[in-house]
Amino acid sequence: MSLLSIRNLNIRFRTGDDYVHAVNDVSFDIAKGQKLAVVGESGSGKSQIAMAIMGLLAPNAEASGEVLYEGQNLLALSQSQLNRIRARDISIIFQDPMSSLNPYMRIERQLGEVVVQHEGLSRRDARKRALEVMEAVQIPDARNRLTAYPHEFSGGMRQRIVIAMALICKPKLILADEPTTALDVTVQAQIMTLLDDIQRDLNTAVMLITHDLGVVAGFCEDTLVLYGGRVMEEAPTLDLFDGPGHPYTRGLLRAVPNISDATATLAAIPGSPPNQTRPPVACPFAPRCVDVRDACLEALPDLTGSRQKRACIRPVEELT
Amino acid sequence: MLNYTLRRLLTVVPTLLVLIVFSFYLMRLAPGGPFTSERPLPPAVMANVLERYGLDEPLHVQLFTYIKNIVLHFDFGPSFSQKDRDVNDVIAQGFPVTLTYGFWSAVFVLACGIPLGIIAALRHNSFWDYSMTGLAIFSQIFPNFVLAPIMVLLFTLSWGLLPGGGWNGGQWEYIIMPAVALGTSYMAGVARLTRGSFLEVMSSPFIRTARAKGLPERTIIIRHALKPALLPTLTYMGPVFVYMITGSVFIDVFFSTGGIGQDFIDGAYSRDYSMLLGLTILYSLLTFTLNLLLDLAYAWIDPKVRSKL
Amino acid sequence: MSIAKKQMNAAPYAEAAAADMVTSRSFWADARGRFLKNRMAVVSVLMLVLLVLFAIFGHTIARWSYEEIDWTILGKVKTEGGPTLANGHFFGVDELGRDLYARVVQGSRTSLLVGFVAGTASVLLGSVIGASAGYFGGRFDQLVMGAYTIWISIPYIIFFVVWKAFFGRSLTQMILVIVLVNWTAGLLIVRGQVMMLKNREFVDAARMLGMSDFTIIFKHLMPNILWVIVIYTSIVIPEIIMMESLVSFLGVGIQEPNTSWGALISEGARTMTFGTLWQLAFPAAFFVVAQVSLYYIGDGLRDALDPKDR
Repeated sequence: MSLLSIRNLNIRFRTGDDYVHAVNDVSFDIAKGQKLAVVGESGSGKSQIAMAIMGLLAPNAEASGEVLYEGQNLLALSQSQLNRIRARDISIIFQDPMSSLNPYMRIERQLGEVVVQHEGLSRRDARKRALEVMEAVQIPDARNRLTAYPHEFSGGMRQRIVIAMALICKPKLILADEPTTALDVTVQAQIMTLLDDIQRDLNTAVMLITHDLGVVAGFCEDTLVLYGGRVMEEAPTLDLFDGPGHPYTRGLLRAVPNISDATATLAAIPGSPPNQTRPPVACPFAPRCVDVRDACLEALPDLTGSRQKRACIRPVEELT
Repeated sequence: MLNYTLRRLLTVVPTLLVLIVFSFYLMRLAPGGPFTSERPLPPAVMANVLERYGLDEPLHVQLFTYIKNIVLHFDFGPSFSQKDRDVNDVIAQGFPVTLTYGFWSAVFVLACGIPLGIIAALRHNSFWDYSMTGLAIFSQIFPNFVLAPIMVLLFTLSWGLLPGGGWNGGQWEYIIMPAVALGTSYMAGVARLTRGSFLEVMSSPFIRTARAKGLPERTIIIRHALKPALLPTLTYMGPVFVYMITGSVFIDVFFSTGGIGQDFIDGAYSRDYSMLLGLTILYSLLTFTLNLLLDLAYAWIDPKVRSKL
Repeated sequence: MSIAKKQMNAAPYAEAAAADMVTSRSFWADARGRFLKNRMAVVSVLMLVLLVLFAIFGHTIARWSYEEIDWTILGKVKTEGGPTLANGHFFGVDELGRDLYARVVQGSRTSLLVGFVAGTASVLLGSVIGASAGYFGGRFDQLVMGAYTIWISIPYIIFFVVWKAFFGRSLTQMILVIVLVNWTAGLLIVRGQVMMLKNREFVDAARMLGMSDFTIIFKHLMPNILWVIVIYTSIVIPEIIMMESLVSFLGVGIQEPNTSWGALISEGARTMTFGTLWQLAFPAAFFVVAQVSLYYIGDGLRDALDPKDR
């Protein structure tokens, strides 16, 4: 049985009299210890999936379908039931380390309160645990920096603290929502290496949400591509990079800068993201697709295939 | 921190000095004085009186003596209008009164304003929330000098529940109306501000982080949201204290509390130099002290500010 | 590009950019449209217009002047001084037997005049100082900010009391003192806006054209922050009316027999123990109606002009 199993998840947001359909009929699984990348441009609904798993959707959101964690539907749980799962079983790393730490609390308290809450530790033991994780995420001079405030750390160090916070209870699943987007490129690499090491040590499953295929390549075995709130393609990362099975994935890969071939022109995908005020009735990517056929505009393509699943009515061989 | 406090105290000294010199010359250069009346005193008596109070000396000498007496003996000199009373006597008698109900008024402002604001924010767009907005508008249009007569009309004249004035050694019945009348509009201001900042804080990323930690809502509010939500309120209290001091002059007059406000106004009518100057200094000192306390409280809450001190 | 050529392009650019910003007619037209859609604000404007008309023309239907004492009622104010149409005292008389209707007209005149004149003048003064501080920065800015910090920490009542003690309390002097006390009105917000705008291209362009600082501040910056000044004035006017009322209440405001809402409320409050409640009710009602109207007008202006909606 998989650790997390998402079945026909739909998320929509009420804005005035209208709805924005952010996530449409998304299903996928994460096994124990698996590293899955969820890739898509902003507005593709990838962060909202993480929010739905954590039960942190905005008040104007409505979610339907199932988010099964060890067989239990998280969408049906109350906030206090969810509180027993949050951070202890599933934790999340947010994008912006500058704003996701409380600026008015000492680091040790922010880290320690998680284990005080979930494991009933005393303040003193919690401090010990805080020190352990800070050392685990390689914060130099951790012992003396326990009592520091977030603003006294650099961006990269803060993201390490956010990571430490996410793994202090040794959760079974970590949702990493664009964990490196706000950081410098060199720091990005360090943080991804750190995540990789920790993942291996704890054998935690990781769902990495990103728009950056470069980050995915070195980290995740499997990749899920989202567009307009729908799954376009799901495949082992290597297969996907070798032979992308969906026109959108192809476009994405062409838009990744290539260091070894500096002369190659970067191909942007023409057009703009879809209007999501209505649930999709046809392939959401069709208006921007270079291989579009009339049939693409008429019906929703199913996600088919076994190893490399793709939602496109045209055979792979026909794609440009 | 101590360093900062001392530095701040040092800036108070020149400020006060400028204020004293400015008010002193403004008062003295104006025509008329405490002993000008409709029936002029005989010149000999006048000279006598002036000499007794040291008013016959050159202005800068008087100013110097005045400041010297304050610095060395904390002596604000004799009152020119109230016979045989020093300004110090007036302050000793009236200041504790003003300070007492002023303190309770500040307690009322914070102890009611902050919880009201938080309740309105937690029950966003509910009955409580709308009542709060109503209260805020109400307070805008019923400032203390309109509210106080209405309160006396209701609580004293109609229902006979509370005394309509006086002090009586500061029994609680005598404190309630002055404190509430003085504070109500600021209480509403605090409530509105707290509501706004609380809503903003509750939607901030670090509260989302706290939620993701699986903390109960109560803990999130008390441990994570309260401090940052109160910072704007603290900033707002600076001007509020200044306005409340102005308001206290009205309260002292209207409720005949025996506070220093009445003496201040009387001083204006009788052109009592030393009374006006002494109370001006006292009021200014009070605002400076309160502002310093607020700044220290701010630094105590906000580590970013603290590290810069 | 040579500097000369840059300057040639700068002229039309500066004009266009400046015109393109909030000074454009459509901005004010849009704002007016939004304001007119706000029902509370429109009703409030009507109320305020009625109040102003009352203040200007109210005396024409009064049967008494505001200083005249009705000797037939004096001494029997409590029993016969109430509001009635019979003897021409529509709002009753005060404890000196003067016609309260005429006095409320006079009080409205004073309060509204002081509010609008002193309010506008204060904000203009504060805006000019704030704009200069923001534009020039440096020492001047530090000086202004230092003075500002000290000034706002002094309870304003002190100035009125000291002024009352040694100078007069005519209408002109009242307005003058209020403006002097409120020189800080709008200062901070205008300073902030100017600091934000002064690095924009159209200011650089104007500078390159050799325009004087004075011209840049008044012809290029001020029109662009006019909306802030308008909003702020609408907030300051009721505050000034309140300030005037409070000091008049305390007897350090406007001089008898002239009067204002605050002075009238004060008399009403003093005499309410005798049961002559009309003396409190009428002035208080006018004061409250004016404050409510001004509050909603300010609210409507803020909603109509606030750039967040743009």
